[in-house]
This record gives sequence, structure tokens and C-alpha cells, in this order.
Amino acid sequence: MCMARVTALPEVVPSLRNISTGRTTSEHILSKSHYRLLRCARHLSGRPGGAMNVFDRTMKRQQKKWAASLQDSDKYDYLRAEAGLRVADRVYDVARTFPLALDVGCGKSYIAEHLSKDVVERFFLTDICNKSLRQQRPSEMPTHCVLADEEFLPFKENTFDLVVSSLSLHWINDLPGALRQIQHVLKPDGVFIGAMVGGETLYELRCSLQLAEQEREGGFAPHISPYTAVTDLGNLLGQAGFNMLTVDIDEIQVNYPGMLEVMNDLKGMGESNCAWNRKPILHRDTLLAAAAIYKEMYGNEDGTVPATFEVLHMIGWKPHESQAKPAQRGSANVSFADLSKIGKTPPDQKS
Amino acid sequence: MSGTNAWKRSRDRMKLFPELLAQCVPEATAYGKCVTATTVGKQELQKDLCVKEFEALKTCFTSAAKKAGK
Repeated sequence: MCMARVTALPEVVPSLRNISTGRTTSEHILSKSHYRLLRCARHLSGRPGGAMNVFDRTMKRQQKKWAASLQDSDKYDYLRAEAGLRVADRVYDVARTFPLALDVGCGKSYIAEHLSKDVVERFFLTDICNKSLRQQRPSEMPTHCVLADEEFLPFKENTFDLVVSSLSLHWINDLPGALRQIQHVLKPDGVFIGAMVGGETLYELRCSLQLAEQEREGGFAPHISPYTAVTDLGNLLGQAGFNMLTVDIDEIQVNYPGMLEVMNDLKGMGESNCAWNRKPILHRDTLLAAAAIYKEMYGNEDGTVPATFEVLHMIGWKPHESQAKPAQRGSANVSFADLSKIGKTPPDQKS
Repeated sequence: MSGTNAWKRSRDRMKLFPELLAQCVPEATAYGKCVTATTVGKQELQKDLCVKEFEALKTCFTSAAKKAGK
């Protein structure tokens, strides 16, 4: 059941058709003055045309706009707030002051509010949805909001000391290209600290829907978007040109009363499916069946059901001469044979 | 979309879903057990393998909905 970046699972039920407008990019959000930057950014973004076109970015922007315009949109912020807090934690772990930082896909900006002025002096916030940018949460340092697509960053090379991203990279079509652009806008010895959902996120929902559709309709279609596996992340960062990589997994499990509440909260977060190959209809019977299966397979003793969010945290550095390099061959001055003597203190040293 | 239209009516109906499902716990458990048995056993999951349990669940669900609708 590996949901690596596949284009589509085979659909056994032939009457289902996917609605596709065939549009590949959402260039129109950038002004004409960014057009030249767009052209140069395009050659950095990997394969040309629509070769890697999994998600409908226009739909995603509409979904985020809808979620941001809800009266009680704060109710759905818990996951992003938690992930933002953990990313800010990692920024604090780097004992440096960053004069200029960028938040890619910031939403309402969940990272800047936890950082102080002596860690980051100026913050640039980018998102594809202007409604969320307008609801930006207050922060200590001065911020600038830029309406930009994560795949087409309108910034010059070697601009930022720090780039952060929290829970937005999983909707990017060309992830290698986006990572390469992030590396491009970083200064040498700059750092990228990111968090994205990946791996086995929402496997309970995925499996329940799959089993229900298989039993009720005789075949299934993908309802959860494809995620990056943690093993691929190291390769992606390395190919993008980052050094000294750190990748770790944080599993956040949230309990809900039932499957419908999971789906409702995902919708409220702006995380509805926008893959081109999504099935437009979920039948009532399938919904009922899936809710029953979810409760039976994964339910807790107290009647709630869990939903797992696997957040992959990654840290990568833009190469610089000051960074530690692998040692030269033949420069070792201790032997592995001395490992056995580590526990024993020599007689002339204090214990 | 304001006012009453198909979207609003169906959204309001969907809001009742969890409560209605809560009234059919034994049927839901039976159906869930039938399907999950295929994930561990040798039997492959095919269409309408658990149709009896599902029909029981659906009748319980629709009768709960009729009662709630009154």
C-alpha cells in the first residue's frame, strides 16, 4: 500500500471519469515584472511541460481561500500551529541570528510568532492564497507578505539566510524543482528547515476508504494524495544541492469522534484533495461503509478514532567553505582496534 | 452559498451522519468485522462480500434518519 508518487492507481470501475482542464501552471498570480524571474526559475524546476503534474494548484488556492474565509477557521489551526512550533524549535537549535528569513507556503504564518527578533530580524512570508496572508498572526519582527507560488519563487539568488516551510510542500507538483529553487535563493551557508507531511499520513483514512470502495463498488480510486517517503527525502535534498542533511519523523496522532469529523477537519484546514486524478464522487454507501470500517479497524477503546499525521522534518545547508568536509583518505590517526580501550582510563588521568 | 439550495440541504443532512451512525453501533461493528476479516484471512475482498451485514447497517441507518427527520 505504498503511496509513493504514482500517477494513478488502476480504476476498475470504468464509468468514473476524472475532470481535468489540462492546465499545468498557475503563472498568472505573478505580476509581469516577475516574468523574467519566472523564465529563469522555470529552467530550475526540473522537467518541462506537464511531466510532473499531480496537483491542481488553482483548485488548491480556491480550497485555501475557502478555508480562510470560514468564520471559525481558527478551529482547524491546531495541526499547523503544532508543526509551526516544532519548526521554530529547530530554528532555535541553530545558534545563529538570521538577518533575512523566508517562509514558503506560510498560510497564516505559524512559525514567525514563535521566533524572537534576535533570532530572525526580518521575515518574508509567501503563500499562494492572499486571504490567509491577510489573516497573518502577529509576530515580533517586521514581516513582508508576498503572494507567490512555491514552485516559482520570485527572489534573486543568494538572498536569504534562512528558509522555513511548514506543511505546504506536500501540494507541490515538482518537489525537486522547488527544493532547487529554495537552495537557489539561500545564501551560501544558509539553512533550510522544513516540515512536510509524508510517509504514512492518514493511512487509516486511506485504508478504510479503499476497503469500503472495494467491497461496495468492486474497485477503488485514490482519495488521499501521494506522499513523499522519508527515504526519498534525503535523495531529494541531496539532488537539490543541500549539505549536512538531517531528516527525522514526528508522528502526530489526533483523535476524532469518527471518520466524518476527520474529513470535515481536513476540509477546514484547506487540505482537501486536489490531485488531478481524484474521484469527484464519494457514494453514500461507500461513506457509510468506510465510517464503519474505520471505527472497527482503528477505533480506540473510548470510541474515538485516531488519524495519524507523519510530519517529516528536514534540515539542509547550502554549501560553504566553512562547513565540515569529509576527511582526506589516509589522514586517520586512531585505529578502530583502539575502540576496545575506550572504557579503560589510562593510569595517569583522573577518572 | 446562502439561502436554501441543494448544497446547503445536503450539507445539513451530512451533519446528522455521525449521530445516526452512533445509533447503529452493533450493525456497524458486524460489518466492520466482516471486512477486516479479509485483511488477515485468506479470503480476498470482493464486491458484495459483506452485503448482508451492509444491508442491515443501511436499514438501521435509514430508519434512524427517518426518525430524526420527523
